[in-house]
Amino acid sequence: MMASECKVMERQHDITQVPSGKEVCLFLAEYGSWLLGCGATCIRLEKNMQRIAATYGKRMELTISPRHIHVSVLDDSGSDTVTTIASVKATGVSFNLNTMLSQLSWEVADRKLGFREARERLREITRSDSQNKWVVLLLVTLANASFCHLFGGDLPAMAVVGAATLAGYYLKQLLLEHRVDIRVVVLACAFVSSVLGASCHLFSLGTTPAVAIGTSILYLVPGIPFLNSFSDVLYRYYICAFSRFMDAVVLTACLSAGLCAGMALMRVGMF
Amino acid sequence: MDQQIILDALFSAIAAIGFSAISRLPRRAYLYCAVIAALGHSLRFLLMSPDGTGMHIFLATLIASCFIGLLAVFLSPLARTPAEACFFPSLLPMIPGIYAYMTFGGLALCILSDSQEAYNFYYYQFSHNGFICIAILTGMVVGATLPVFMFKKISFQATR
Repeated sequence: MMASECKVMERQHDITQVPSGKEVCLFLAEYGSWLLGCGATCIRLEKNMQRIAATYGKRMELTISPRHIHVSVLDDSGSDTVTTIASVKATGVSFNLNTMLSQLSWEVADRKLGFREARERLREITRSDSQNKWVVLLLVTLANASFCHLFGGDLPAMAVVGAATLAGYYLKQLLLEHRVDIRVVVLACAFVSSVLGASCHLFSLGTTPAVAIGTSILYLVPGIPFLNSFSDVLYRYYICAFSRFMDAVVLTACLSAGLCAGMALMRVGMF
Repeated sequence: MDQQIILDALFSAIAAIGFSAISRLPRRAYLYCAVIAALGHSLRFLLMSPDGTGMHIFLATLIASCFIGLLAVFLSPLARTPAEACFFPSLLPMIPGIYAYMTFGGLALCILSDSQEAYNFYYYQFSHNGFICIAILTGMVVGATLPVFMFKKISFQATR
């Protein structure tokens, strides 16, 4: 028998075979822990997981807490119920992962992807989310320099902000590779970027030194937790909304502490 | 003024691409984010400009964010990404960075001040900039998220 025929038969078998409640529950718990970890909103998480569960002939109830998800899967008859708790994966924000996981839920629902195939796809997706760190570094540097212009900075200020961002973001990449706590990372990067951002003030470059120092740390602003927390409020996931908001507040406080320390070191006045 | 708008749109687009990279957006969505950011930020620039309507930064941000949210909802099916993935990098060029910077600076100097006069001045800087910063952030988030909430069907089927 040809290998391709074997694959087709295997897939047909996979489609016709109904997965057990336990299998679906464990799959959904893993799926959800990745999706929440990469920065998806709670409503997206619930909708995607419901969609997958319904396709495999199950009902699902979900509790989302800040660091865990609690999944219960029920048979349509209600005779078989399985519950599991999974820790949220610490992947960092990734809309690429979010997009691929959302697409997987539609593939399961629309293309009736078999259970075994869906499990393999999930494994592939979670392994394939990589980026070229040098390209990201370059794009972030250009982005923050552009920010400086948008806030009224002149050319010397843009150049200084570019350099401050390059150094700060590179430090962020290095520290995160060494698994340093994100709060320490934000504090250290804000300090380094603000010290370098104060160059305009120190060497009297250009006419907008305050804009340079103010924008040099903007690449660290935790925008996604702020936006997601409001989305969670709209759909009444208040616990998660509060948790995401607090995360964002703590990171903003670390950012501010780094900035103030940098300014104090460089003896930069503000008003 | 035309040149200013074009420059504003260009730099907003570059900023949006950089922030798309930070938030690990699929590459096919970079261009959409750049276009949304350029249009949204130019709209805010026009609304705030004295030659335009001379609107207050809060109202201008609210309207521009809503526009960004709508564009993100209707363009996300083309980019095959969730709507929130499209509007987040586009919103960032409107972040009230300088107000936030003045707020924290005011707070720090308020604590360190040694006279009532200096304290009052820095407290004013802290509270004035802080309130504007919070209002702008709220306007951005509310404006951009509401279209996703209103057009749920399109928003949640973008990756279909």
